[in-house]
Amino acid sequence: MPKKPKVAIYWLGACAGCDESIVDLNEAILPLTEVIDIVLWPIAIDFKYEEIRSMQDREIALCILSGSVRNSDHQEMAELLRKKSQTVLAFGSCACFGGSPGLANFTTKEDIFNWVYRDAPTVVNPNGSYPQTKTDIDSKILTLPEFFENVFTLDEFIDVDYYLPGCPPPPDLISNAINSVLSGDLPPKGSALTPRKAICDTCPRNKNKPTHMDIKKYIRIHTVDADPDTCFLAQGIICLGPATRTGCGESCIRVNVPCRGCFGPVPSVVGSGPKFLSTLTSLLLVEKDEDIEDAIDSIDDPAGYLYRFTQPYSILGKRSHKIDMED
Amino acid sequence: MVAFEPKVVCFSCNFGWGFLCDKDDLSKSIKYWIPEICSGKIDSRHIFQAFRAGADGVLILGCPEGHCHYQDGNYQTMKKVYLMQKVMKAFGIEPERLSMNMSRDPEGKNIPSLIQEMKERLIKLGPIKKM
Repeated sequence: MPKKPKVAIYWLGACAGCDESIVDLNEAILPLTEVIDIVLWPIAIDFKYEEIRSMQDREIALCILSGSVRNSDHQEMAELLRKKSQTVLAFGSCACFGGSPGLANFTTKEDIFNWVYRDAPTVVNPNGSYPQTKTDIDSKILTLPEFFENVFTLDEFIDVDYYLPGCPPPPDLISNAINSVLSGDLPPKGSALTPRKAICDTCPRNKNKPTHMDIKKYIRIHTVDADPDTCFLAQGIICLGPATRTGCGESCIRVNVPCRGCFGPVPSVVGSGPKFLSTLTSLLLVEKDEDIEDAIDSIDDPAGYLYRFTQPYSILGKRSHKIDMED
Repeated sequence: MVAFEPKVVCFSCNFGWGFLCDKDDLSKSIKYWIPEICSGKIDSRHIFQAFRAGADGVLILGCPEGHCHYQDGNYQTMKKVYLMQKVMKAFGIEPERLSMNMSRDPEGKNIPSLIQEMKERLIKLGPIKKM
């Protein structure tokens, strides 16, 4: 019997939502296990890291990595799995763009530690202890991974072959991605395995979109009873569909929640933040110049909203190398 | 110690600024000058990328209100600049590093002095933080 290709599924700085989405393949996962061998999947099956270390280089056919890189343990595992795998798929918005944990980059490591270990009202820490990478207890050295200064995308540390964004990626795209890797029917390296259009192109509300939108001020979704058929932007509700890549099946929009931008930028756009910014301001119609500030101030926490999933990947972010756009 | 010399990238609208001057001549005295067809054409991405590339400040020169050749490009930019300043603040970049001037100068004589004024303001702020 020929050997089945090996697949590893691993989480770095992630919430496990991406793994849940793989579980959501439901019965489709059963025929998949007939043709592949899962060699690592911490959320579902117990495997030892030593087994991975003892494997030959490039022995794993596909490694699905979710989560951002925030500490030295994430880095070590990402590098190990890169070495042992032929193809690495950056899985989910955190691995692709930094995701919502990336919003931590708006503050510093020092502030985060001070809040978590000293200032938060529920903290009891009379000795003022902070986590250390090495602690000597009775001449035994205990170690912890080093917490990095910033949140990083996966491709800051390792070479990534393909990207599958989404928070989490939907099951249909997951099974497409796994099948295309196994069959070898793949686009050029570095591509995202999703459709190339923007959400607005596939949005069910697009047909009800007015040709001209004159928004006086932006409102937040929880403060109104949004009409379930009208374009969110036409109602003055911030929706990031115009510059976000489609493929999610418009799952948020179908339950009357505007797009939050988890699929990242459309191809040929570098960083979605500036595009969102231009969209929102150009749709705003303000009669008098002195009202511009008030109208724009109606967008609460603009940086957090426009960079909700892409802060570490953004132009002004802490990315060490150039952002390449997909053509 | 070498004195801090701020780098200012200047985007200007072709319809309001310097369209009567000899651009080759004027650009000798302005180091990072990017004339655009309209201030509304200046992409927010280009402004952020200027900061990423090491600019200490970005100056946008647009037409006076109601004088845009394309109806409202300058007005669109005005809104965009205000929101960009708010976003920059969250990234730890002082909003004053992005400035817009809405006026008109066909000869472009004032451009070097406006840049100089901006540089003086930037000297007080110091160099941009490392990205």
